[in-house]
Amino acid sequence: MKNKLSGFAVPYVGWMALFVVIPILIMVMYSFTNSEFSMTVENFTGMGVYMPVFLRSFRLATIATLVCLLIGYPTAYLMAKEGPGFQRIAMALIMLPMWMNFLLRTYSWMSILENNGLLNRLFSKIGVIDLYNTIAMALSADPGKYIPITHFQMIGTSGAVVLGMVYNYLPFMILPIYSVIVKLDGSLLEAARDLGSNNVTVFRRVIFPLSLPGILSGVTMVFVPSVSTFAISRLLGGGTQMMLGDLIEQQFLGGAYNPHLGAAISMVMMVIVVVCMVVMNHFGEGEEQAVML
Amino acid sequence: MRHTRRTGSRLLMALVFLFLYAPILLLIIFSFNFGESNTVWQGFSLHWYKELFHNRIIMESVYTTLLVSLLATLIATVVGTFAAIGLYSMSRRWRNPLLTINNIPMMNADIVTGVSLCLFFAAFFQGWRSFARWFNEAQEFMELPLRLTLGFTTLLLAHLAFNIPYVILNVAPKLRQMDKNLIDAAQDLGCTWMQAFWKVILPEIKPGIVSGALIAFTMSIDDFVISYFTAGSATSTLAMTIYGMTKKRITPEINAISTLLFVAVLILLVVNNVREARLERQATRKVVKPAPPTPAARFLVDNAPRFKRIGAGVLACGLLVVMVTLGGAARSQRVVNVCSWGEYIDPELITLFEERTGIRVNYQTAESNETLYSLLMSGGGDYDVIVPSDYMIAQLIEEDMLAELNYDAIPNFSLIDERFQNLPYDPENRYTVPYAWGTVGIIYDRNVVDEELTSWEALYDERYAGNILLINNSRDAFGIALKYLGYSVNTTNEAEIRQAYALVADAMDRGVFQGKVMDEVFQKMEGGNAAIATYYAGDYLSMVDNQADNVDLAFSIPEEGSNWFVDAMCVLKDAPHYEEAHEWINFIASTEASLCNMDYIWYASPNTEALEGYPAYYEELYEEPLDPEVYEIMAAPADVLERCELYVSLPQKIRTLYNELWITLGI
Repeated sequence: MKNKLSGFAVPYVGWMALFVVIPILIMVMYSFTNSEFSMTVENFTGMGVYMPVFLRSFRLATIATLVCLLIGYPTAYLMAKEGPGFQRIAMALIMLPMWMNFLLRTYSWMSILENNGLLNRLFSKIGVIDLYNTIAMALSADPGKYIPITHFQMIGTSGAVVLGMVYNYLPFMILPIYSVIVKLDGSLLEAARDLGSNNVTVFRRVIFPLSLPGILSGVTMVFVPSVSTFAISRLLGGGTQMMLGDLIEQQFLGGAYNPHLGAAISMVMMVIVVVCMVVMNHFGEGEEQAVML
Repeated sequence: MRHTRRTGSRLLMALVFLFLYAPILLLIIFSFNFGESNTVWQGFSLHWYKELFHNRIIMESVYTTLLVSLLATLIATVVGTFAAIGLYSMSRRWRNPLLTINNIPMMNADIVTGVSLCLFFAAFFQGWRSFARWFNEAQEFMELPLRLTLGFTTLLLAHLAFNIPYVILNVAPKLRQMDKNLIDAAQDLGCTWMQAFWKVILPEIKPGIVSGALIAFTMSIDDFVISYFTAGSATSTLAMTIYGMTKKRITPEINAISTLLFVAVLILLVVNNVREARLERQATRKVVKPAPPTPAARFLVDNAPRFKRIGAGVLACGLLVVMVTLGGAARSQRVVNVCSWGEYIDPELITLFEERTGIRVNYQTAESNETLYSLLMSGGGDYDVIVPSDYMIAQLIEEDMLAELNYDAIPNFSLIDERFQNLPYDPENRYTVPYAWGTVGIIYDRNVVDEELTSWEALYDERYAGNILLINNSRDAFGIALKYLGYSVNTTNEAEIRQAYALVADAMDRGVFQGKVMDEVFQKMEGGNAAIATYYAGDYLSMVDNQADNVDLAFSIPEEGSNWFVDAMCVLKDAPHYEEAHEWINFIASTEASLCNMDYIWYASPNTEALEGYPAYYEELYEEPLDPEVYEIMAAPADVLERCELYVSLPQKIRTLYNELWITLGI
């Protein structure tokens, strides 16, 4: 009987071999060959040129993750402190944007941040741009040569890309943290207070450590899509803020066809992400076990 | 004290919600805008909603999205459930490594999964081609198709590949909780193992199956990246359509569909919240779940009930829409798949052709010659007719990717001006029928640029920093730099090319460019969001038609010279609709279609009658003479063409150099 049931998995094992293992093997093969399909490690050794892209991706994704954490944690914490009715509505409101396509929302930011977009129009209408020009002219060494600005440059900057990431992935940070905090055992907090802790200590020694698994979930759920995005950097960075995702996309469906290099970069990204996840997962499980003990 | 703290906390949350909803609100507001602008309110109107339902591309992509999600969910749920049961009947020694493999698609970044599947499909197609060729030669009873492309099937397979693991992930905890003795007991009491499965196992794990199915559905609906790499060009999910549109002119119908989606989900949420509030009064069972393997997975399992509630509604709506669409879809048998460029045809020509011939036209667009080539190489170009430019045609012929045309089926080819026959890219004219021709020039906004631009120098000028758009394809971007430096656009001298690269890279470093654009240029220049761009003459005239009130565009072909190009229609080798492709090409080459097209896209036609007859046609249509300056921009006169060079295909080595430098430029 046992054997018969385990036979159920056979088709799926075949499926996994075909659609998970073989594709990755093909990717590995591509990454170690050149366009004539002879073995080479050039794809990896030559990758130093792309170091700035790696650094930028990690820098922007890290900033986005930190900003998400800084906004997301207090929001999740305060939400968990509210009454059940409020919580339910707030949860629904946070999840609602996730059900609209993220490309739609990113596109909306484009029309806000453009040089002639809503924000710049607003700024020039309420006089912010004139004010800026007056101050800058007064401060500049040679006021005669000062060229007044007509708009603030927002689109096509790294700031816009980070904004896009924060905007799109913030719910991924709030929700896991919230679901951990809301399940915290109230008696633990009471016990801590009874034992003489003040609010700050309770937060630092009890609530925060216990919410770490939620933070870890949130961090991976924001960081991984951020570091590999190409749509956000393309739309809000205007192609000037190349990220790892753009680099890969360019080699496959973009303007510089070279699947071998693309596969090599994907490999590196896969290894980095998997290592990060394994480390975090280990860390996270350790935390949970500590809670259970 | 307590009161102020509460106010503070509510204020913070209000700000977060404002941040989350302001852009969505904007989309909704502007979906009712009378005009096309997304920034200026021009009065209330509902006509974008009407347009939406007539927009075949958007409606078809909604249909594709729902169909693929539903099918993937259905299959993944069945396969995943059986697989989970099978895996949990195995010994630990086998189960654990298999579960690790199962986790790979969930752990990897989407793009890695997408890329590996894309390579896998491309390799399979190649293998298939050799097999089919051998098979067709070996016997005569059956003819296998030689060319397979990415499409709905590969899209579905890819969705299954990332959906099944989520189903297993949700079913697994239920299996772990289940008392194994139950199965033994059932069998002791006389059940066959089949009965034990239906009567004991299935009811026990049902909640896991349901939440697994709904998470799978959510993931499918939400996916963009994996679909993008595996759906090819002819099949497009809603997300892919939107991405494609952001590269071109974004029509306000997108605002309308966003609003509809938003309202649909909002209604579901409200209904669910009301129900939830009612249910909350009842006691809820608490189930302890073992920790799933990844943090992301843990989150999904934790939130499964939420997905479940929203998902149930979405699922129901989705089914309804699919059924309605299926009912209404009576499709003609004959099809032709065409790939061209953005804003490059009068859409009425498509309708006219469909009406006359009964052939359905699947009209797609690519961004640039280079992306078209990538798409074809990745197995994604499900096309019959493509309209590449001169140098790319030469490259495709060289790589044996084009089919020879049957000119007997294209009588209108005789109408093509001799100047556009037997050009260097197709010296014996066996593969191509010219579509349009034109020049590349500099487009600028007179309201921002005070001088008259007569040199490419302006493109690299710091005075206009942040206001200049770099053309987003290597051939044009470097070609222009080469011209500015006084070299040929077709140079194979590496030093000259590197010098051109250095010029562009330096300008990039100084922050001169606002971005790299292809068809985004329309929206940018028309709206006054940039002041200088390099683009094609015909598109400049389209922009003038649509420019905002505070924008005054001008065009010039700089003194250093430029590129002139011919885009021609070709048929891909082994194209499944070879005959329909010829009918399409013949129709487009006709004088009637050429005039119509010229009037719409403002590119000059190679059809002699149309080219010469256009001013008269214009006068008759609009009852005013055509501005000779406009006609000169469309059809560049001989003295301008003298300054311009036609691109030729570069040797492989130089192409690789172009690609490398182009990628390095973006770093």
